[in-house]
Amino acid sequence: MKKFLVGIALLGSSLLFAQDKGYFYGGLESNSQWLLDDDGLPFIAPDEAFRSNNYFQLNYAYGDFSAGVQYESYLPNALLGYAPDYDGGNGIATYFLNYRDKSLDVTGGYFYEQFGNGLLLRTWEDRQLGINSALHGLRVKFSPTDFIDLTGVYGQQRVGFELSEGVIQGLDAAFDLGSALKTGEVDLRAGVSYVGRYQDTNANDTIPSTVNAYSARADFVIDKFYGGVEVGYKEEDVIANEGLFDSDRLYDGTALQVNMGYAQRGLGINATFRRLENFSFYSDRTVEGNQFNQQLINYTPALTKQQDYMLTNIYVYNAQPRLLTEGFEQRAGEVGAQVDVYYSFPKESPFGKVNTKIAGNFSYWGGLETEFNEDLSYDVKFIGDGDRYFRDINFEVKNRWSSAWSTVATFQSVIIDKGVSLGGPLGVQGDIKAITGVGEATYRFGKGQSFRFALQHLWSQQDRGNWAAGVIEYSPNSRLNFFIADNFNYQSIDGDFETDSQFEDPLHYYNIGGSYSKGRTRFSMNYGRQRGGLICVGGVCRFVPESNGLNMNLVVTF
Amino acid sequence: MKQILILLTLCMATFTYAQDELPNVRLETLDGATTTLNELASDGNVKIVSLWATWCVPCLKELDAINEVYEDWQDETNVELIAVSVDDSRTVKRVKPLINGKAWDYTILLDTNNDLKRALGAATVPLTLLVKDGKIVYRHSGYNPGAEYELYEKVQEHSK
Repeated sequence: MKKFLVGIALLGSSLLFAQDKGYFYGGLESNSQWLLDDDGLPFIAPDEAFRSNNYFQLNYAYGDFSAGVQYESYLPNALLGYAPDYDGGNGIATYFLNYRDKSLDVTGGYFYEQFGNGLLLRTWEDRQLGINSALHGLRVKFSPTDFIDLTGVYGQQRVGFELSEGVIQGLDAAFDLGSALKTGEVDLRAGVSYVGRYQDTNANDTIPSTVNAYSARADFVIDKFYGGVEVGYKEEDVIANEGLFDSDRLYDGTALQVNMGYAQRGLGINATFRRLENFSFYSDRTVEGNQFNQQLINYTPALTKQQDYMLTNIYVYNAQPRLLTEGFEQRAGEVGAQVDVYYSFPKESPFGKVNTKIAGNFSYWGGLETEFNEDLSYDVKFIGDGDRYFRDINFEVKNRWSSAWSTVATFQSVIIDKGVSLGGPLGVQGDIKAITGVGEATYRFGKGQSFRFALQHLWSQQDRGNWAAGVIEYSPNSRLNFFIADNFNYQSIDGDFETDSQFEDPLHYYNIGGSYSKGRTRFSMNYGRQRGGLICVGGVCRFVPESNGLNMNLVVTF
Repeated sequence: MKQILILLTLCMATFTYAQDELPNVRLETLDGATTTLNELASDGNVKIVSLWATWCVPCLKELDAINEVYEDWQDETNVELIAVSVDDSRTVKRVKPLINGKAWDYTILLDTNNDLKRALGAATVPLTLLVKDGKIVYRHSGYNPGAEYELYEKVQEHSK
């Protein structure tokens, strides 16, 4: 490690005076919070009230070579709700050395890779979620012809500042059949993937030391129509829950994802179906289902719309690909679909004159209909009639009335299983039904000034009842921005807060802040209350506790 | 401590010698072909490169706003906008219907594995770059309504 660093430093300094021979690039990101006591929530700030996550990335490219390091520090502790693996950590977290020419691409060190849709393998970084699942090892990509891409990976996944116990190996081959077979108008692509995980079984003979997974995929484009399908299979493995094996029984897993769409100027439609049965795949079998999403090899995010507003983000879905066999909660996976429609009215039409654009989305996700037998084997239907986990119908209408005024109107009706939203077993605690309406207007004036207002209301007879929310945002110019926002949980389910044990009074979640952005730098700051619950980015969620405090973010890129 | 020192040295070096080269990263077109920004941005005209995502509200606002005036911009300066989606496999299927549904006339590229996003050190989107002759001549992250006018001033400045 040290040698590597010194090597990089030497490489860097030797080239300092030869400017035309290469270049540096990278970035700095610093996210800090100062937590404060708040009797209203109630929230008691931990002793380590100041927390800070920092990432410094420096890369150097020279001809066909590039190299980089990422330094991270979580001092004195990581931000609230991050995996404890990071707390107090500081040091070089990732590094890489890469060579690339027209047909060959070789990376040593840490790398990020994805096969197909990620059903088998995706290693990635998301700092907001506290996920960095980079593989540490070797990756080789080779393109012998224009229409074949081969990728091989070997390594161990990063866990905090350590490496996972499991060793991952993978191969992917992607074929551009359209070019190879000269199909003309029809574009056709196919791929096959293999991923294997080796993990020591501690002399337990019933557990396989290597678990392999396979997938095949095909995608096509025919004029305005397009689509794709991917199927996956994971070999038998034991099922762990909270670090313990449910039983000695082994289970295999399957995945199927089908996507179809149509797109022409002014109109786009997309539909996706996915079925996952026991299809979570971790580097270490014992961390199966951990709440911090650590050591995940594959990527099976919630296929729902990522909502834009505070109140439409309270009841969000989190994918449920796991098999659980223990008596108090038995389930085998999820199945569901979503449809998106985008439409712009033609400019000549009455709606087109005010630039009307509409977008609609529907999604339904449920558990697989499953019957468990005495010996913990199970029978499962392909779709069946399992528990409903989530249903969302939403649409938005955007208008630009003049160069000064534009508006957005959003409607959402959501039903979510209480277990998915609040925790605990799924399918037995009942539903939360909520309807939300949002109106947003932006007014531009002067030279680059603007005001934005958003009013939101959520109606529900379950969970925490009704909410009202508002945001006002002012930008004096393109660099500066100030906002003030409040989410107000003003009425509990029966209009009486006394019966709600946790939230006894109407509660304001206020926030005030601003940002400044210029060139390579962006700084933002806000003070206020954080609503507890799931924070989701790209369909992957982490739980954040209620808190109050001051947050600061700085990003510099170069 | 040693590590930090080395890093600091590198850091200094970086700020002194950081060059605004376009990262040589492979991106996918909507047809699944592979290209790089260098290949697309080598004709001598100014290009706007915008990193965006289907789930990023300010990104959509920015690209919608530019779309309203895009024809005028192109007539005056020959500028071309390359919109690079950083959507991952969860949302990348939405890119095609969305850009059609919005009737955008941009060149769309996909950065599904986020290689470009990482290479540019972009912590957040939108990130908007102006590129000329393979060099990044201006960059701005985030979007406030009206920021497109300032962007266009920069386009005009570099088109001369």
